[in-house]
Amino acid sequence: MENKQSSSPASFIDSTIVPGDVVLDLSSMTNQTIKLGGGLRQDCDVISAMKAGTLRFSKPNKYWIESSQKRYVPCVEDTVLGIVVDSKADNFLIDIKGPTLAFLPVLAFEGGTRRNIPKFELGTLLYLRVVKANFGMNPELSCTDASGKAAEFGPLKDGYMFETSTGLSRKLLSSPTCPVLEALGKKLSFEIAVGLNGRVWVNAASPDTVVVVANAIMNSESLSTAQQIIMVEHLLKNIQ
Amino acid sequence: MEKADDMVTPGELLGRANDLKPGKGAYVASKNNTIYASLTGFRRIQPSTPGSPDQRPIVEVIGHKAHGPVPEPGSVVIARVTKVMARTASVDIMCVGPKSMREKFTGIIRQQDVRATEIDKVDMHLSFRPGDIVRAVVLSLGDARAYYLSTAKNELGVVSAESSAGATMVPISWTEMQCPLTGQIEQRKVAKVIS
Repeated sequence: MENKQSSSPASFIDSTIVPGDVVLDLSSMTNQTIKLGGGLRQDCDVISAMKAGTLRFSKPNKYWIESSQKRYVPCVEDTVLGIVVDSKADNFLIDIKGPTLAFLPVLAFEGGTRRNIPKFELGTLLYLRVVKANFGMNPELSCTDASGKAAEFGPLKDGYMFETSTGLSRKLLSSPTCPVLEALGKKLSFEIAVGLNGRVWVNAASPDTVVVVANAIMNSESLSTAQQIIMVEHLLKNIQ
Repeated sequence: MEKADDMVTPGELLGRANDLKPGKGAYVASKNNTIYASLTGFRRIQPSTPGSPDQRPIVEVIGHKAHGPVPEPGSVVIARVTKVMARTASVDIMCVGPKSMREKFTGIIRQQDVRATEIDKVDMHLSFRPGDIVRAVVLSLGDARAYYLSTAKNELGVVSAESSAGATMVPISWTEMQCPLTGQIEQRKVAKVIS
């Protein structure tokens, strides 16, 4: 087995890493604070990878591994789309495609009191924010933002929900706007909600529009910007 | 002093309350003033303690197989945390005082019993993690599923814990423990070990 003693960490940035690769050697970088994001862990003196993906670096000192999976690992302050599975006395049980069900406290709504608890049917789709996500515990969700306002969180009515990988969800939420959404937005009018857990909800006036938007997004994962624009034009020609 | 040991089963008549006093494993049925056994074992009659006003001999039922220790309210136990949830932590009680248990008993530490101050601001995840060994005191027999335990004293709390790197952590304050391999600090409700 090769023992990669990397002297310059820059050699691994933006290249593909597999679990077990030694990414940084801390003995050569003393007196620096490094921030480790997802997928990296410290083993005494070296930083090694836990996930397969691409190593990314952002100045001044943040390293993380970017990868796209179908499975979602809950993180604090993520916005996700959840489906109501059960309701208990204090919490709703929500499925967010994570390792366990998540809890949505019954009072975690704007102006929520014991007297006006919302009643969600099983299967309702909700746009939620992750409040607590500790390893081994069920994640806790909320339908308000950090200051307590509703801010678009809550149930999503009508529309169509489909599942994607987590990488595609992040691309759809990146700024500047993802090319496929920009190209679709120029010709069609639709409403979209993207969850970082790999779920996307689309709503529009006519079902044709909804289907075109959904298909365009699902096709766009592995395409480059120019290819995405061509693909969208192709799809739009068919419905015009 | 000790009569020949008879094997008795629960519900068996041991004697009259006028002649005998019930000890361990026996009880008095008040309606007809007789003493019955409540455990399986051997009957033993011991003379009463000299100087006590009640001069009746004591009848006991001694187990023919030794029962393990059982947690009583007020006893200090050592337990391992199995699950940490939003407002409670589940533990497996392993030792009562200095003796280890024969059977597994489950305990629960509720959010309000973790510490003595600011009990509504307790974050269970910053107090315990699954796999920690804690010293706690039994509050009550609790419900059918678990004993209620408390760590709301200085000498109660996490005694030994493993860091995410796999090493046994060293306590540095009553809220923090440090991993010797990576130097990372993790939060726990640490017990003050008085040596």
